[in-house]
Amino acid sequence: MQAQATQIIHAYKQAPWRVQRQYVGAFLLAVIGISMIAALYLQVTARAAATGREIQEMRFEITTMQRANADLETQLANLTSTAEMEHRAQALGYRPVKPGELDYVAVPGFVAPEPAILLAAEDVTEYSQSLPSEYTQSLVEWLDERVKTGGY
Amino acid sequence: MRQQYAVRSLVLIVGFAFVALAVIVQMIRIQNSEQAKIFLSQGDQYSGEFRMFYPERGEIYDRNGHLLAGNRTVYELGVNLSQMENPQTLASTLGTYLGLTYEDVYDQLTNSPKSWEYIVIQDYVGTETVTALQKLMQQKKDANDNSLSGLGFKPHFQRSYPENSLASNVLGFVTRDGRGYFGIEEKYNDLLAGNPVQVWVPTDPNRASELPKVPNGTTLVLTLNRDLQAQVENILDTSISNYGAENGAIIVMDPRTGDILAMATTPRLDLNNYTNYFSTYDNGSQYNRAIGMAYEAGSVVKILTMAAALDTGTVSPNTTFIDTGSIDVGGITIHNWDRKPWGQQDMIGCLQHSLNVCLAWISTQMGPQTFYGYMERFGLGHPTGIDLSGEAMGRLKVPGDTDWYNVDLGTNAFGQGVTVTPLQLMMAASAIANDGKMVTPHVLYSMLRDGHQYNVPSQYAGSPIRSETAHTLTDMLTVSLEGESSSALVPGYRIAGKTGTAQIPTDYGYDDTHTNASFIGWGPVDDPQFMIYVWLQKPSASIWSSETAAPVFSQVAEQTVILLNIPPDMVRNQFGSR
Repeated sequence: MQAQATQIIHAYKQAPWRVQRQYVGAFLLAVIGISMIAALYLQVTARAAATGREIQEMRFEITTMQRANADLETQLANLTSTAEMEHRAQALGYRPVKPGELDYVAVPGFVAPEPAILLAAEDVTEYSQSLPSEYTQSLVEWLDERVKTGGY
Repeated sequence: MRQQYAVRSLVLIVGFAFVALAVIVQMIRIQNSEQAKIFLSQGDQYSGEFRMFYPERGEIYDRNGHLLAGNRTVYELGVNLSQMENPQTLASTLGTYLGLTYEDVYDQLTNSPKSWEYIVIQDYVGTETVTALQKLMQQKKDANDNSLSGLGFKPHFQRSYPENSLASNVLGFVTRDGRGYFGIEEKYNDLLAGNPVQVWVPTDPNRASELPKVPNGTTLVLTLNRDLQAQVENILDTSISNYGAENGAIIVMDPRTGDILAMATTPRLDLNNYTNYFSTYDNGSQYNRAIGMAYEAGSVVKILTMAAALDTGTVSPNTTFIDTGSIDVGGITIHNWDRKPWGQQDMIGCLQHSLNVCLAWISTQMGPQTFYGYMERFGLGHPTGIDLSGEAMGRLKVPGDTDWYNVDLGTNAFGQGVTVTPLQLMMAASAIANDGKMVTPHVLYSMLRDGHQYNVPSQYAGSPIRSETAHTLTDMLTVSLEGESSSALVPGYRIAGKTGTAQIPTDYGYDDTHTNASFIGWGPVDDPQFMIYVWLQKPSASIWSSETAAPVFSQVAEQTVILLNIPPDMVRNQFGSR
């Protein structure tokens, strides 16, 4: 009885339609896998291309903005040029000050601010100039330093 | 039945496999064929292009951040011939908007070589014209009219000078080929222009990251004070007109650092129309006569002679000299400017009355070796090293030169027979104003690049005299000016200075009718913050510098103390005592 049941199960497993379905399943699985990889590759490539295009457009935009910025700076400089400012001041009823008309007030600790163009940049002057003492010290200065520091 | 299906299936599978294999073989064959290589190379031509990237030229600012030289967008206007549909309309439109003739434009559009795909109709077209043309193109496009197709605009930068001719002699200019001429534009051309880069620009967006980032040129900040420069130019122009001078130059310098605060000369050039250069100047040395034109400055040189004599101990302020009105040096008789004897004088009197005989006597007392040694140490006959192009170095004849004679020792002592530029004398005199230390004049204050700032440090060019000598001579020159109630004086401020009236040498001796009027002075004497040099060429209202250059100095000094916020001596002393 048990042997008969085993035979039926074995016959079922060996059924041709079942083997074919396994082949079809494997094939479909491969197709789906390849499709997924292809889709993923396509998506990544498309995104890279789109980003690349965006970079190109943004670079173009940067150039356009730099041009606009330079144009605006020049326009602003034209509007605030000495000749223009003098003309506008005179139109408003101002005249140049004379030395005797000035009053001076001492403001302790006041330091005139640097122009905006310099404030925007990092000062690297000191770094560029700070050579190690080995390169700037004379022999006499070196000896003097040694004596003062007790040889250390 | 099942067997038949199996056979058919097998046949179909083999058939499809064969077709697929044939397709693959063919693909491989085509891709590796000779033709494919040609196709690939043709394709590469469209995968990008070699393009030259010109960085934006660095800007130039004054020390207070006012733009002196910037950039503005202009356009190259051209036509893509392969896209052109209606040359008549294009020629007519471009002729109207660009001020060209219809025939010229039409000829360019229709008679260009067949290999040309693109032709430039006009470059450096302004934004207004381009905007108007773009608007017209849009209108036509909206009306489905393609008569302007092919028209294109390529933007690029052009140098722009918002202040027009202000400080033109210092700035120089940039031509359309992008090269700087004269002044800062020439001296720092490489820094300002940056490095143009030629690169392959791929059209493939996946290679967008390969696009180069071209850094802009270095931005320069100058030591000039724009407002002071404008005032000084204004005073110079008015003085030239009032005194009937041919030309002139005025320099304002900080004697402690060598910072050039203003440098005005005539004539000046509107830098936005630099093509007028050839109609404005006869030669390059006239572009900035403050540094480019050496002349016999006359009595202003006496301060250097006196400095040398005091420093060597040859004389002291109280040394007396009996002026007989003439002196024999090297067999030639030297006279005073008025050909009269001035009797007994101390050294202050010699300076105050500008006595040639006295100064010639001093130089002979020192001897040629000492005298010329000091003149060399003061930098005469050498360029100052200012960071502007086109500097002249003047001429100091010394013993041993074929054209040096014994009498030169006497005449050189009062500024005759020696040529200097105004800036050379300022540099030499800076030693007197600055405790004996001579500064190198400079125009560059700071450089800005990629968000970093590098400040240009002051440089000393030696100490030709001792500190005590500098103080003594400054006092002598101050007393000298105050004693003669000079028109150079500035109310409220103690000033040291010296006039110089010099005859002009010609091929036939000295011109008796014209002079060069000069004045050099500095103040406040207890803390010198400005040094001013005035040179008026051939003033016709008066030949004497005391009547021309000296009052001009006073005007410039008045404006300088206002714009540099230098309080009068009394106020400064009050502030100092608190």
